[in-house]
Amino acid sequence: MNIKTNNNEKCDYALQDLYNVIDPEIGLNIVDLGLLYEMYFDETAKKLECIMTLTTQFCPMGEAITTDTRNSLGASFPDWEITITLIFEPAWNMNMISMTGREYLGR
Amino acid sequence: MMTPGIGGIQKTTNYKVVLPFYVYASLGFLLGATLLMFSTVDIGIHYFNPHILAITHSMALAWGTMLIFGASHQLLPVLVEGKLNSDLLAFLSFGFMAIGIPILIYGFYIFNLGTPLKTGATLINLGVVCYFINVMTTALKNNRKNIHAWYAITATLWLLSTTLLGLLLVFNFQSPFLAKNSVYYLVIHAHFGMIGWFLLMVIGLGSRLIPMFLISKYTNNKILWLIFTIINVALILFVFIYLFNWSAYLFYIPIIMGIFAVILFGRHCFQAYKMRIRKNVDQQVKTSLISVFLMLLPFIILLVTISLIPQVYSNRMAMLYGFTIFFGWITAIILGMTFKTMPFIIWNKVYHNKAHKGRTPAPKEIFNDQVYKTMLYCYLGGFIIFIIGITLFNQFILKSGAILLFLAAILYVYNMLLTANHKSK
Repeated sequence: MNIKTNNNEKCDYALQDLYNVIDPEIGLNIVDLGLLYEMYFDETAKKLECIMTLTTQFCPMGEAITTDTRNSLGASFPDWEITITLIFEPAWNMNMISMTGREYLGR
Repeated sequence: MMTPGIGGIQKTTNYKVVLPFYVYASLGFLLGATLLMFSTVDIGIHYFNPHILAITHSMALAWGTMLIFGASHQLLPVLVEGKLNSDLLAFLSFGFMAIGIPILIYGFYIFNLGTPLKTGATLINLGVVCYFINVMTTALKNNRKNIHAWYAITATLWLLSTTLLGLLLVFNFQSPFLAKNSVYYLVIHAHFGMIGWFLLMVIGLGSRLIPMFLISKYTNNKILWLIFTIINVALILFVFIYLFNWSAYLFYIPIIMGIFAVILFGRHCFQAYKMRIRKNVDQQVKTSLISVFLMLLPFIILLVTISLIPQVYSNRMAMLYGFTIFFGWITAIILGMTFKTMPFIIWNKVYHNKAHKGRTPAPKEIFNDQVYKTMLYCYLGGFIIFIIGITLFNQFILKSGAILLFLAAILYVYNMLLTANHKSK
């Protein structure tokens, strides 16, 4: 897990709830799965941009995962404007799974 | 197509397009198994008989093709990384096929080679043409065509060849215009369908789905291209040897090529299995892996038949060959993949807007796992017993195997309808 951010404290706070966003097929949360790339906080404008990916661009659960992420961040930062940006470059790969995630998957 | 505020996410095919194919196919399996149960006395006579033709087309069209149509409408956008070109064509394809298939099967069952067969075959061809146009336009509109997409495109071309030839044979029955009678060309019609359509499509989709569901990092496009080439060349060679009446010994070449291609695909799946991230493999993926092993069976039967078995047993060997294809690997991979793909479709339909609003079940919790396991045991038991029944030519064993397959079909339909009707609690 190596998420770029401009505010470590707020990022850690956001992650607490994001650990509950689960990829329904794999059964693993998106943080340990390595789907989160970047998180930027604009405290003045109260804007949060989360840059993330999916295991594949046509992941059948893509919409559900991004909606869940948005709802989770919305719960952590109730009066903030949340933007989720999906990118596929760099593409997700197995090496992005954290050690905790690998242990969960039995590896 | 973008979801507001979420850049880059691609919408999957609407469940309304896909679900009717799945539900229809489940009834097709039930029909095929029911007809088999009441037609065990026809085993051992020539395959060109009304009941066997009805069973074969139930399994090939109502079951295998309709399920693959449904799954590929969902998966083709994944393969070409673009949207399905037309939902309307998919609906039209379903409509033509759904009406045409029972008419054709009825025509075969009562052996009326006139209006029912002609009407059914024509409607089926219209359905296949709609599907063909949809696959081609979807693939051509999107530049990202990978090896899996080429499998799907080529398999669809073979399917169109299969059904067009089938249509010609239907008309040739009553007003002969081909050089030989229709029964002669049935071998080509059958192999276009079994190898060109089913084997290519199943390997094309399976080589994408099996590693994906295993969460495996293994990929080897060179091997997949090699398999693709071998299968297509073997099929074309087989047709030439048959049509031009070349030496019977030459049939060994396409058969051995087929065995080699299946072994390569088996190796591909095994490598994906070895390099999987997820340690526990669920029952559905295991069933699909069993199907890969079962792919070898018909090729081996063919090899044994032409080299060792006396001509007097050829009808029974032909029956064994067809059974191990339609009730063997085609059915096994569908049983497995249905309950991997369909729960996703239903989950997205029911829960995609309910994420993070209370606990939502995982897709695997949408169907009944116990019923799935019982279905699988019935299927495997029925499949093995029926093979023994064909080999020993014993009615009691045949009937026992057919009853188990029928039970498997009932359980499949039950689980399918349970999944399709899943509601948020």
